[in-house]
Amino acid sequence: MRGVLGVFQHLDAAVDAIEDLKQQKFRDITVYTPTPRHELEHALHAPHSPVRRYTLVGAVLGCTFGYWIAIWASDYWPLVVGGKAIASWVPYTIFGFEVMVLVGALSTVAGLFISARVPRLTTVVGYDGRFSHGDYGVFVETVPEQVQSAEQLLRRHGAVEVRGER
Amino acid sequence: MATAVKSYPRAGDQPAPRPNIASANVQLPAVRDYEQVDNEITSTLHPTVAWFGGLAVAVVCMLIGASAWTYQIYWGLGQAGYAPPVMWGVYIITFVFWVGIGHAGTLISAILYLFRAGFRTTIYRAAEAMTVFAVMTAGLFPIIHIGRPWKFFWLIPYPNWRLIWPQFKSPLVWDVFAISTYLTISTTFLYIGLIPDIAVLRDRETNPIRKRIFSVLSLGWRNSDREWRHFARAYLFLAAFSTPLVLSVHSVVSFDFAMAVTPGWHTTIFPPYFVAGAIFSGFAMVWTIIIPLRRWWGLKHYVTLNHLDASAKMVLFTSLVVGSAYLSEFFIAWYSGIRAEQEYFWNRIFGQWWWAGWSLLICNMVFPLSLFSQRLRRNTTWLFILSIIINIGMWMERFTIVVPSLSHEFEPWQWTHYQPSWVDMSFLVGSFGWFFMWFLLFIKQLPVIAIAEVKEIVPPKLRTAHPHADHIDSSGRHADYEPDTPGEFA
Repeated sequence: MRGVLGVFQHLDAAVDAIEDLKQQKFRDITVYTPTPRHELEHALHAPHSPVRRYTLVGAVLGCTFGYWIAIWASDYWPLVVGGKAIASWVPYTIFGFEVMVLVGALSTVAGLFISARVPRLTTVVGYDGRFSHGDYGVFVETVPEQVQSAEQLLRRHGAVEVRGER
Repeated sequence: MATAVKSYPRAGDQPAPRPNIASANVQLPAVRDYEQVDNEITSTLHPTVAWFGGLAVAVVCMLIGASAWTYQIYWGLGQAGYAPPVMWGVYIITFVFWVGIGHAGTLISAILYLFRAGFRTTIYRAAEAMTVFAVMTAGLFPIIHIGRPWKFFWLIPYPNWRLIWPQFKSPLVWDVFAISTYLTISTTFLYIGLIPDIAVLRDRETNPIRKRIFSVLSLGWRNSDREWRHFARAYLFLAAFSTPLVLSVHSVVSFDFAMAVTPGWHTTIFPPYFVAGAIFSGFAMVWTIIIPLRRWWGLKHYVTLNHLDASAKMVLFTSLVVGSAYLSEFFIAWYSGIRAEQEYFWNRIFGQWWWAGWSLLICNMVFPLSLFSQRLRRNTTWLFILSIIINIGMWMERFTIVVPSLSHEFEPWQWTHYQPSWVDMSFLVGSFGWFFMWFLLFIKQLPVIAIAEVKEIVPPKLRTAHPHADHIDSSGRHADYEPDTPGEFA
């Protein structure tokens, strides 16, 4: 991965740089920000997160398992009391619900990890400790011929530091 | 002769703003920039002599409880103050108490998040940590109570050579699922929210060992737009799962009582009554923790009076709900015409347990009425005192639910008394030691105020007014509707 990193101290400068990069047909842009900002999100036109699919699948599987384990165990080891139903759906809804929440939430976390590509044990090209502090980073992947134009664009929009990364 | 000068409002004068309007638009006017947020919040992580002193007290209390447990394991469950048929006592009371304490954390972090209640931002981390440690504490008590703690795993459904399974219609098995799910999800929710803040600590840390530890704990988080986008969506769904979960857990705990045909227990009002009481007591514990912390750490400009005022309104509301439940119980007992029910409630107020019954009514219904006064809602000394009163009142409430019912059931020859033993009380002291030991360790390792979320309500540095002027004006201030929670980001 080769590209150019621009460090910005002002949010609006970073947003302007991103919009200009988009207009100049730079496609692979990564923005580092100490806190999520709508302005950056709008400028990037990022697609919706797929995490919701993991949530849905996990919740359905969890709910199914919760009901199943209660019904199966009751049927396997029946405790018949007063002729009442062996599998009683009213109390078993507690198991369906609790396991739905458990598996749904854990699969949401799995979806986050897979989509955001964490955990990550190696240092990533383009990251700087300042980006968790207060500065904004705009990293754009380029071919060698476009490095100079990308650097000029970032400087023009007020980047306090521009450097090549590989 | 002097004439009185009367001032009239001039044209264009705006009425003075009310001191507290709880809304999503919470600003921290004394917090200027991100650097200040990082510096002030991370400065709370340095241990002090007072902190070591507090930790020592907590560890001693915890050891008292551990010694009592050792003693009880050796001599048997008879060392607890049970007097048949009162076979539920301090252990179950304290279990319900701590589960209740754990509820405010999830309420603040999840439910208030979904409702965009901005006053949660600076207190939710402390409340979440409180939840995890409170549920860890609560989970010990059923294990202590069963007498043979090494066999607690029999409650978990797992394939085994005995080919037997738990009774899924038993409320005790419901408890196992509810509490273990709650502990897992609360811990997950706390940790996921911590990841960006641990990344801040990682990037500021100079000690190589701690830096390595923070690198692992932050999972290599680097604040990219991709990470934030998925993080915001995942956080939203975790909040959405936690919201019904928090309501279900104390409902399930209330089923431990409501499923039994025992006077005072067999009532449909228990689930909402327990949930409201849990939120009420949990908020009180949040005050007990956060009011001293904001003073000792000099963070009054983060946890402002407006935040405490808004939370006081929540406490007042839940107090009124709980009070209504108390009065409804009395009414229904009278209206039902069931003599056992009527005698139970009479016994609770005018008979054997009058002191417990009145103490809970005074602590949980009468004192919180003071919060109708805005002056008292904004008086931190009073809020702290009130939080202790409520904590005591809510423990007494659980005592009043558990013991009087069992000591005064249907058969007069069974009526008896109950006196907690020193072992019981040692466990109670030990539970507070265990809880505060974990909490004190937490607050010196990880930020107890969410750095990344606080930064969201601090205006960012701007060079000029840019085309997104609907979000940020030319002076760098957020527009009113700017959300203060990351869920809007996705």
